[in-house]
Parts: sequence; C-alpha cells; structure tokens
Amino acid sequence: MVAPTGRLDVVGAPALKEAISELVKQGLPRVVIDLEGVSFVDSTGLGSVISALKQIKGSQGELRLAAPNQQVRVVLELTTLDRVFPYYATVEEALTGF
Amino acid sequence: MRPTQEPFEFRATLTALDQGLDVLHHSVELLRQATGRTDADRDLMLFETALGEIGANVLTHGRPEGVQLPVEYQLHLDAGTVLASFVDPGPPVHDHLGRAMPDLASENGRGLALARSLLDELGYQREGEVNRWRLVKRL
Repeated sequence: MVAPTGRLDVVGAPALKEAISELVKQGLPRVVIDLEGVSFVDSTGLGSVISALKQIKGSQGELRLAAPNQQVRVVLELTTLDRVFPYYATVEEALTGF
Repeated sequence: MRPTQEPFEFRATLTALDQGLDVLHHSVELLRQATGRTDADRDLMLFETALGEIGANVLTHGRPEGVQLPVEYQLHLDAGTVLASFVDPGPPVHDHLGRAMPDLASENGRGLALARSLLDELGYQREGEVNRWRLVKRL
C-alpha cells in the first residue's frame, strides 16, 4: 500500500511514481493507493497514477485506488479515468478480495 | 447565512513552482474563509482545480531560463463571479490552447482541456512579450 499525502500535483507526483517503482521492483505488483491524505489532484498527479498502472500491469499486477475525496473523484470522472481506475470508498473495501 | 466579504481581492508575485502553487491554493482558502464557503462548495472546488492546472502550466513554462521576471497573479471575486489572472513572460502558447483531452493511456496533456471544461471562460492573449491568462467561473 502507498499512502501519499497533501497535494498530488506537479510537485508531489514524482514521489508517488518513485514509491510505486520501488514496490514493483520488490515484486509486489498488487498495490492499493490510499488517497485519504490527498487533498488535491491535478493532471500531472493523475499522470503519475496512470504511470503506476502501466508499471503494475507490466508485472501482471493490479492497482486499486481507495478513499479519494470529492475533488479527486470529480477529476477522475471528468477525465473519464474512473473507467480505468476502480476506486473504493475505503481502504478496507479496496483490500477485500484483493 | 453566508458572510459576504465581497468583493474579495488577492494579488501575489510568483517566482517558483512549489511556492507559486502554495500561494494559489492559499488564495482560494482565503477566499473561502472571507466568503463563508467550505471545501464542499463544488463550483469553487472546480475553479481551484482549473486554477491549479493553469497555474502549474504558467509556473512551469512561463518563466523561461534567463528571464528574471516573475509571474503576476490576481484573484478577484465580485457578484458571485470569481476571476483569476496570470501575466507571465514565457513564450506564446497559442499552439497548445486547442488541445483535446488525450486518450486514457496518456500520462500527460490533460491540463488545458480539463481547465477549459471546468471554467465558464478561459481567456488567453499574447500582449507584447507576455502572456495574459484569464480564468472565470460563476459560483
């Protein structure tokens, strides 16, 4: 599980990319990104999540997003990326059957 | 009842990406506090999202190497309409303005399309050696 905090934007996105790369390198391709601590996402932040998905799928893994706030949900919907990323209301829900 | 400290006005000079983005979000927070709005105000949240997109673009591309001029930022709310403006000394950006939302696998290129979809008006003008941006949304 990865739990970024603060703004997942052009400044915060590289750290998420790095954290996911590290998990994939460690052979842990089933990843939940806990978004509860993320206050704001922008298109660069979304890009880092898409990058994470590509890395994880490349390792035959699976990515789930958990606990996005209203702003994150709206941005996922407006960009239609909610079709790509299943998101769950809580981390517990995301981990169920994972 | 909502306190109405309108018109609300905020101005800042932005000189770096991370500092600049902090200022943009802080200015919206000040507007929320001054006008009794909360994080749940959807229209203001959509405006802040667009502001973050254009702000990140301006602060990334609007301060070319060797040019010392900062980015001028202004936020204004009056009669229920919020307006943000940026003036930056970067190169012209006409070629990027019409960019459509890229396909789902793309890792970048969504910012302008997303901002356009969230605002009532996204204005851009090249004036001499500067770019002028105007973001408008009725709240």
